[in-house]
Amino acid sequence: MPVQGIKAVATARNGVGAFILQCKRLDFHYCDWAGSSRGMNAFLKHTLPSFAKANPQIEIRVSPRPHKHPVIKGHYINGREKAICVRNLEPEQISNKANLLKEASGEKLKRTKKPIASINESVRGIWSPYHGDNKTV
Amino acid sequence: MATSLVVPKRPFLALPFLLPSCDSVAMELRRHQSSYRRTKQRLRVRPDASFGVSSTQFQDHIVHNPPSSAPSVFHTPVKFLPPDDARRSLHTDPLFKHTNSEVLPTVFKTSTEKKYHLNKSDIEEIRKLRLSDPMTWSRWKLAKRFECSPMFIAMVCEASPQKKEIQKQVLEAVQSRWGPKRRMAREDRQLRKESWGRDE
Amino acid sequence: MKRLQLQRWSSSVLSPRARTGGRLQQHLYYSLRRQSTASPALQVESEQLVDESSLNSSIPSSHIRQQPKYILPSPPVEAARESAKLAALHARLYLPSRLPLETLARALVDPSADSNSNFNNESLATLGHDLLTYYTSEHLLCTYPRLPLTVIFAAMYAYVGPKTLATMTREWGVEMAAVPGGEVDPGLLQFQRVAPGTDLDAEPVSNTTRPNDSRMSWRKSMTSRIVYDNEFGDPSKAPVEPSQQPTPGAQSTQGVTAEQASATFVRAVMGSIYLHAGRPAAKRFFEQHFLSRHLNISDLFNFSQPARDLSRLCARENFEPPVAKIISETGRKSRHPVFVVGIYSGQDKLGEGAGASLLEARSRAAVAALKGWYLYSPLNVRVPSSMEDEGAAAWKPVHVDLGEVIV
Repeated sequence: MPVQGIKAVATARNGVGAFILQCKRLDFHYCDWAGSSRGMNAFLKHTLPSFAKANPQIEIRVSPRPHKHPVIKGHYINGREKAICVRNLEPEQISNKANLLKEASGEKLKRTKKPIASINESVRGIWSPYHGDNKTV
Repeated sequence: MATSLVVPKRPFLALPFLLPSCDSVAMELRRHQSSYRRTKQRLRVRPDASFGVSSTQFQDHIVHNPPSSAPSVFHTPVKFLPPDDARRSLHTDPLFKHTNSEVLPTVFKTSTEKKYHLNKSDIEEIRKLRLSDPMTWSRWKLAKRFECSPMFIAMVCEASPQKKEIQKQVLEAVQSRWGPKRRMAREDRQLRKESWGRDE
Repeated sequence: MKRLQLQRWSSSVLSPRARTGGRLQQHLYYSLRRQSTASPALQVESEQLVDESSLNSSIPSSHIRQQPKYILPSPPVEAARESAKLAALHARLYLPSRLPLETLARALVDPSADSNSNFNNESLATLGHDLLTYYTSEHLLCTYPRLPLTVIFAAMYAYVGPKTLATMTREWGVEMAAVPGGEVDPGLLQFQRVAPGTDLDAEPVSNTTRPNDSRMSWRKSMTSRIVYDNEFGDPSKAPVEPSQQPTPGAQSTQGVTAEQASATFVRAVMGSIYLHAGRPAAKRFFEQHFLSRHLNISDLFNFSQPARDLSRLCARENFEPPVAKIISETGRKSRHPVFVVGIYSGQDKLGEGAGASLLEARSRAAVAALKGWYLYSPLNVRVPSSMEDEGAAAWKPVHVDLGEVIV
């Protein structure tokens, strides 16, 4: 057989074409009794319905966690999870934290050194010393 | 002026890319300046001649600066474009032909021109010779006698089973004397050869 | 296409008779549950069947309504509206609002979980598979008209093969249920898993559509793989006769792998979008989720004798025979020489390659030249299915090539 095919898998480029939000679930834990949950309880009562309506892609679970500080937990498509303790925070601050979790990709925070990372080939190719406008000696 | 300097570490006055503004006097005076500025100055390379104002063309034109990289396989050669393709007419410009292929040396010393000079009786004789005395008439000897390639001999006739058996035993005897290093090197060589076809 | 016609269309696909005719009578018991996506015509039909069955069998319908959930093999249809996971998945994929949650829930039920074809995704997946392979193959054939068949198979596998579809399921954030059942959240992918310890590659694929399949020594030509094998060039299983279908109980014990179940799910989503939202939506979904993936086709080639193939190609196309010439070299007598060899046909350069030996450089140059031939892509490519758009311009024939080099 002159030429054979090599089996491969096409790699995803999230955002090229379709965009899948990486946060798939947010767990809100609160306590009815403790004072550190006061802001959280107000957030759950007043802000959460509009937050859930604005982000239908995220499954939202609200559950009590008695005698503990309130926590927001984000579950991500890559299998990781991120938790933020929101004790003694105001509802607006909690809303910011929830937005932070929503927009995270789920990856560990890394320092990016290059402004652009791409899997596309460079237009001008990989530099080679044997090509281009060679100066003849 | 350069000769009067007391053994400079680098003959930077001889470097061709220094801008004319850094004349030798300024150089000498600023010998103790910070190294950052000095390196920045040295990186100030004069642009390539093709970027400047051309003497022949005064109107707007395109600067053709081919990339210093191996050509991409997605750029179909002009010869491979179908006749109705619009890109055929774009590449007819003689400017694109850089190298004259006639002057380049070929990879193989012998010419690969095919002669097609053997007729049916010759082929019959090749077969007869190879069957009658396989030890004498090997592929290379036959090729030399009939002035064709050993590949052609392999195409027209096959060795007798006895000869194949003998050859196999010879190969085994040779390979049995190989140590692990040589064997591994041969295997690696084969693997590398297979990777050429995958373009790795 | 108008929506009314779509509904009629969908009834024929979704109806249990369309592809699995004989199995309907076995599953009358289950068909009493309300159908998830059925046109009014179909409901009338099924009601008639129910009447017949209630005459024959003694199961009153009131009993079935009160069945506890865990008796059912898959979640009931009403549960789809209550599942947060399902609604989140619907929104995450930006599925059209015309696609109801119930259909998405049905797409998540594998035939191994619920053998009743009214409630599993088999029919949707069949339609979706046909659509996916059609769109992918027309894209590949029109964009790269000279690709050899083996590479087309490999590219099809890379775009819509089961491995890619399973990866997509993971990237969509679909979770899998441990064991299928009626009480499971309908937002989970439900399938019967293969028993642990099963060797999946133990026996070769038998009972294929290829004649004389049992003769292992027979050569399988490339052309016959178009006819007999599936779209990825692998042997395809022959359809089982309806009379020889195993009983539902026996079938459910035979599980599927997570990869197969995920692939079926993605195909079913594609099929359900086509049914509910129409062809343009399905095409858009395909372009956004499948064609947008990155695949370098030039990496899919594996040549065994590139120089020989190239000389055959030049002879076929009436070009001058290819000659390898040294463009530049360095360190010929050193330990690390580099040769840059170009392959010329007459005056034109066909390809070039660099290597540590003259043979390697020539071989790589021949590979580059062959890829240059095979990866030709015409300008302004249009696919045949674009003619189904309203107000599409007149069709211009696409470039059709002679075919790959045969040695």
